[in-house]
Amino acid sequence: MGMLTKPAILLVAMYLFLKFVVPNIPGSAPLPASLIFLYLMLVTAGIVIFYTMSSESKDAFWGPIQRFLTGENLGVLSTARYALLVLFPLLVGWQTFGSTAVSDAPPAENRTIHPAPPGEYTGLSNPVSKTPENIMQGKGFYAAFCSPCHGGNFDGKGPAARGFNPPPANFSDPTTIAMLQESYLFWRIKKGGVGLPIEGMPWKSAMPRWEVELPDEWIWKIIMGEYDGAHQSPRTWE
Amino acid sequence: MKPANQVRQWVNGIGAVAVTALILSGAAPGLAQEGASVSVSAPLVKGTLPVDDPTAAIWSTAKPAKFPMSPQVHWPNRILETTVKDVVVRALHDGTQVAMLVEYADPTEDPDDAAAIEFMVGDKKAHFAHGQPMMQVEGGPVNIWYWKNKDKKGVDMNAQGFGTLKIQTHQDVKATGAFSNGTWKVVFTRPLATEHADEDTQLIPGGFINIAFAVWDGRKDGSGDLVEKGSQKAVSSWWYFRAEAPPDYSGYYYAAFATALALGFQFVLIRKLKKGQAA
Repeated sequence: MGMLTKPAILLVAMYLFLKFVVPNIPGSAPLPASLIFLYLMLVTAGIVIFYTMSSESKDAFWGPIQRFLTGENLGVLSTARYALLVLFPLLVGWQTFGSTAVSDAPPAENRTIHPAPPGEYTGLSNPVSKTPENIMQGKGFYAAFCSPCHGGNFDGKGPAARGFNPPPANFSDPTTIAMLQESYLFWRIKKGGVGLPIEGMPWKSAMPRWEVELPDEWIWKIIMGEYDGAHQSPRTWE
Repeated sequence: MKPANQVRQWVNGIGAVAVTALILSGAAPGLAQEGASVSVSAPLVKGTLPVDDPTAAIWSTAKPAKFPMSPQVHWPNRILETTVKDVVVRALHDGTQVAMLVEYADPTEDPDDAAAIEFMVGDKKAHFAHGQPMMQVEGGPVNIWYWKNKDKKGVDMNAQGFGTLKIQTHQDVKATGAFSNGTWKVVFTRPLATEHADEDTQLIPGGFINIAFAVWDGRKDGSGDLVEKGSQKAVSSWWYFRAEAPPDYSGYYYAAFATALALGFQFVLIRKLKKGQAA
């Protein structure tokens, strides 16, 4: 079995490296299982090629595998051999079932939560000055127009929110307005759900198109009220 | 190896696999999430559909799907509070017709109590609020099946934006409601397929389509005006509907065949290896 220890250690080490080390390299991301599987198959192919380069190493490599499969003088490992003989056909059957059976699940949806705004809405700055009065007024507008869905606590849990999918944004969550510029909010409030591009799935959003009902100045004040009330700041490029 | 010994080893092997499978399956239910429904599934039934009977026993064979409701806020005139908080939906089909049962709590029976089911039509996406026009996506119409208590019938309609609601010239939808103990049960029925694919949603068994719901509580306020009317109603988001296709066992056949093939491969391989060793 000695000959198999090294390849086994190599495969395990490779798996641990791909699974736990690679995602932590700066600028990297977790690898999908299918890619890890592909890399491990390549490593396996490399190992087989390496060990079959000379006839001695080939015998040393295949010998233990052959003895394991034929069950010759295995001792304690016999149970493992029979388990493998049962498991392998079952696994093949299971995989085949998984790839051929009709799925009961509805189609997967891949909605982009913060799609790119149209060009004319990038980099606009809030023309309303940040005075306590304006912020206060913005919070008043927020309470009247926005809080039924986005919540009096800016947490997306307003009394009218329960039926909506996607749910109204939670502004106190650091991954919503804190990641966005004021001009982005201006676009989303003005054009509402129906203004989203296709990757934002506009047909599902209940967000009103507020440009029909509110003047721009009110919208800018609402944005100030939202950031202040949710204890967040707009994203800046500094 | 002695035969008795070999049998014991096989038993051990199978046992090890079974124990592992049990441990894994024991862990699985904990991972499955309990949540609200995302789709209504209509099983295929043999015999008569309960097309005008909201209380028929056969409804219990359909799996209920529960969808939360919100007041319609997308467009003025909006409303900020509605009576109905959830709808429970069941559906059945017989290969030619579909019957859908929409059930919800409403404290009082009023002549203006009403309910509706909405679908997208064709391949184009439609906004869930009456197919409101979208700015960056070319949307399609919605098909609305509407029932009102005092009218005692179903109405087949189309819309593509608020204010564009139109009753179709060809009516394919039937609807019947029954009120009991603070609960409405309304059955909508229509042929799965119709001849007007540009106006009527086509229900092809096996395929998922988008579905949404609306409910109006027909109660009146102190001055005798309806509280919920027109766009002031309870609505759901888009969810999914599917009329189930006849059972398809091909996945099991393929799996059994693949398992047998793998077993055969194992057998041949080991036999060959054993012969090689003997030689």
